[in-house]
Amino acid sequence: MATPEVLVQRLNRGVRKRNARLTFVRDVGFGDALRLRRFRLGNGLTVLTLVDRAAPTVSYHSWFRVGSRHERPGKTGLAHLFEHLMFNATRNHATGDFDRLMEGAGAEANAATWTDWTYYYENAPRDALPLLIELESDRMANLVLRAPQVSSEKEVVANERKLRVDDDVEGKALELLYEKAFARHPYRWPTIGSMSDIRGFTVQDCREFYRTHYAPSNATVVIAGDFVESRTLSLMQEHYGRLPRGRRVEERRPSEEPPQRAERVVRLPAPTPTEKLLLGYRAPSFLDADTPPLVVANEVLFGGQSSRLHRLFCLDSELALSVRGSISPFVDPGLYEMWIFLREGKRREDALALLDREIGRLGSEGPTPIELEKAIHQLELSFLHGMETAGGKAEQIGFYETVANDGAAVFERLDAYGKVSARDVKRVVSKHLRPSRRTRIEILRRAS
Amino acid sequence: MSVLVESSDVLPLVDVEIAFASGSLQDPAGREGLALLTGHLMRRGPRGLSQQRFEDRLASLGSRVSVQVSMRSTRVRATVLRRNLEPLLGLLADLVWQPALRARDFAKLKRQARAALIARLDDDESLAARCFREALFGEHPYARAQSGNSDSLARIGLPEVESFYARHIAKGAFWVGVAGDVTDTEAHRLAATYFPRARRHKRRDSIVPTTKTRSGRHVVIVDKPERAQTQLFIGTLGARTRDRNLFPLMVSNTVFGGTFSGLLMQEVRAARGWSYSAYSRLLHAKQREAWYMATAPASEYSADCAALQLSLLERWAEGGIKKPQLTFAQRYLINSHCFDRDTPSKRLESRMDVELLGIPRSYVEKYDELVGRVRLRDANDATRARISTRDLSIVVVATATEVASAFERLPGVKSLEVVPFDRG
Repeated sequence: MATPEVLVQRLNRGVRKRNARLTFVRDVGFGDALRLRRFRLGNGLTVLTLVDRAAPTVSYHSWFRVGSRHERPGKTGLAHLFEHLMFNATRNHATGDFDRLMEGAGAEANAATWTDWTYYYENAPRDALPLLIELESDRMANLVLRAPQVSSEKEVVANERKLRVDDDVEGKALELLYEKAFARHPYRWPTIGSMSDIRGFTVQDCREFYRTHYAPSNATVVIAGDFVESRTLSLMQEHYGRLPRGRRVEERRPSEEPPQRAERVVRLPAPTPTEKLLLGYRAPSFLDADTPPLVVANEVLFGGQSSRLHRLFCLDSELALSVRGSISPFVDPGLYEMWIFLREGKRREDALALLDREIGRLGSEGPTPIELEKAIHQLELSFLHGMETAGGKAEQIGFYETVANDGAAVFERLDAYGKVSARDVKRVVSKHLRPSRRTRIEILRRAS
Repeated sequence: MSVLVESSDVLPLVDVEIAFASGSLQDPAGREGLALLTGHLMRRGPRGLSQQRFEDRLASLGSRVSVQVSMRSTRVRATVLRRNLEPLLGLLADLVWQPALRARDFAKLKRQARAALIARLDDDESLAARCFREALFGEHPYARAQSGNSDSLARIGLPEVESFYARHIAKGAFWVGVAGDVTDTEAHRLAATYFPRARRHKRRDSIVPTTKTRSGRHVVIVDKPERAQTQLFIGTLGARTRDRNLFPLMVSNTVFGGTFSGLLMQEVRAARGWSYSAYSRLLHAKQREAWYMATAPASEYSADCAALQLSLLERWAEGGIKKPQLTFAQRYLINSHCFDRDTPSKRLESRMDVELLGIPRSYVEKYDELVGRVRLRDANDATRARISTRDLSIVVVATATEVASAFERLPGVKSLEVVPFDRG
């Protein structure tokens, strides 16, 4: 098999268009058996390939460095609305073609938007790969944005917001949490946007957004699964090589959040049968060295039925039906979210006192050796589960590439978990999980 | 074979499943939730090990274990880091054959189960799905909630759990499945060591009465305050697993509401933006299961959406589908089938379904052929024969004052009932 350098040389032979010329950047191990290769097209598109013949499938991911953090007040939700619009007509394909062609080929196509990124993916039988390349490259540059489609998608998104926020007590509480926890940073507004902003978008807003953010130089394509690399790269040259580089996106540094010095408390009455507590502690960036020990701490506190808080809240005291915790995987500092789902008739004050006591204990004593072992093994198990399918691998690569600028860094993160000590856990818990650094949403039961 | 193996050395991970052919259909009337309580009490660990120590050991091995109960099966499922497979099998064997079934744990479990019944009222979609099954199946066992209700849970005592365990688990037919980084020989050796009683079993079929529909269109409004959005389920009886026209009906349903390009999604979402999701499902079981379509329109046009869906249903069931639509659905089903078997655990699952649920082996082994040979006439005949446009259950979770009068005016509605969302 040709080395990547030789392969690229061969593929560039006779290619005149600068944008279609391919550069090999590097090749790194992806676990014990696979290689992750990085290429770049002349127009700036990054292409990551991972050949994995475990199943006759491919996963094709297109990640764009644009999310709700790139919006501004009054235009919140535009990144997400745009994700919907990307499934509409292009200059080469009529409305509905994209889904029909994908589904006819047996492909599952979908997308997701969050604070720092938007991605589109297809999981497909391996033979469908040329179609995926054709359709994805087409919609990266040729989308048609007209009033009827924009209007219809605005209605769909308005309905999605009602479903996920207005009528969903957890969605509503999360929106409130981020709004209260952040005063300046764009993380304070919801990715789905406010209802008035959704209603107010114009075709012009959408066209401007597309021209600014959707271009090869702001995107990464990840291809994982059973495919022939040389043939695939040649198709990438043919289809993406026609596209212009796009505007240079100037990353505006979002305003830094002022330090939080006191707990913020908000009460949210809701038509819900049971009360809940949602707490958001200011947490470091996903890339910060404190994040791996904090993830291990989260596993000790909330990871499964043997975790401290599950045992204390759900089994011993029976204060709660369930508890859960997670750290936002954001480029900038985000929140460590904790949920306590109280049982009927149980007091919020008792739950909060128990939580504070246990976090204090973890901060002063650290985890036991067995807790540390359990946490690291559970994280390893989750990691392996995430890698079971071509789609799982592509998602991890795309996420790490977009957030950490290195698609293979997922393995470094797993190594980092394995190196976390009890002392590290103690230190990060004492530093980050102080009541003065948190925002608390108390969801109260409002009688019907 | 009672030991099923799917080998793959791609990841150092193994899934294990111990499956029993008994589930909530075996719940005695008035004791709904018994199978689930039994499964969950087993999950609290074996004799000689406190629950905490059991959980610690599972987590230290890098494993996760759950017990899942459906109408016709109880499945103990585990996943574990390859290097710890053997110790996990030892713990699983103890869990299955020597569960502690402690009185103290049982009391806590019942309180937890009751709390879960209350908490799940937050989820409108699952509330609508449960109420739809109750409306469609009435007194039939298919209407029963696996988790029971507050009255049925109150009636269940530990002796009943012990007796359910003794009858259906300890003496029941069971299968062992292993998928992942383990060879066939090794998996059989391990199964013989830890589950020596696993042998060829005949599944005992439980007697399930025939399902029947109520004549006419009946609306149930599940009244919940402050709903901006509604959850709408419209459906009727679907298919039997062994129906000769199951595959034609499956292909036809794919045209109607099985894909994003399907008629339902195109008319409800793409053309009007009325609902984020819009799909139809064809379920099958020993007796006729449900066929339904589900959407989530805003309150202000929920009834209009229901009316549109009813007209689409009539157009589909009475007018039939066209040849290009049939071909498209067949291509979609055949081409996407690779995602039902792209991991060892998924391949194991379909083989386990054959053993446990009485699904003909050909449905798995000859899937592409069975889909590919459906003819247009078969698909349209099957739809006309099976999908009633007249006898329908229409269930909507909504704020009743905002939608009731509009739903009452839907064509052909014979009755309308409003029930509080938090009843029983």
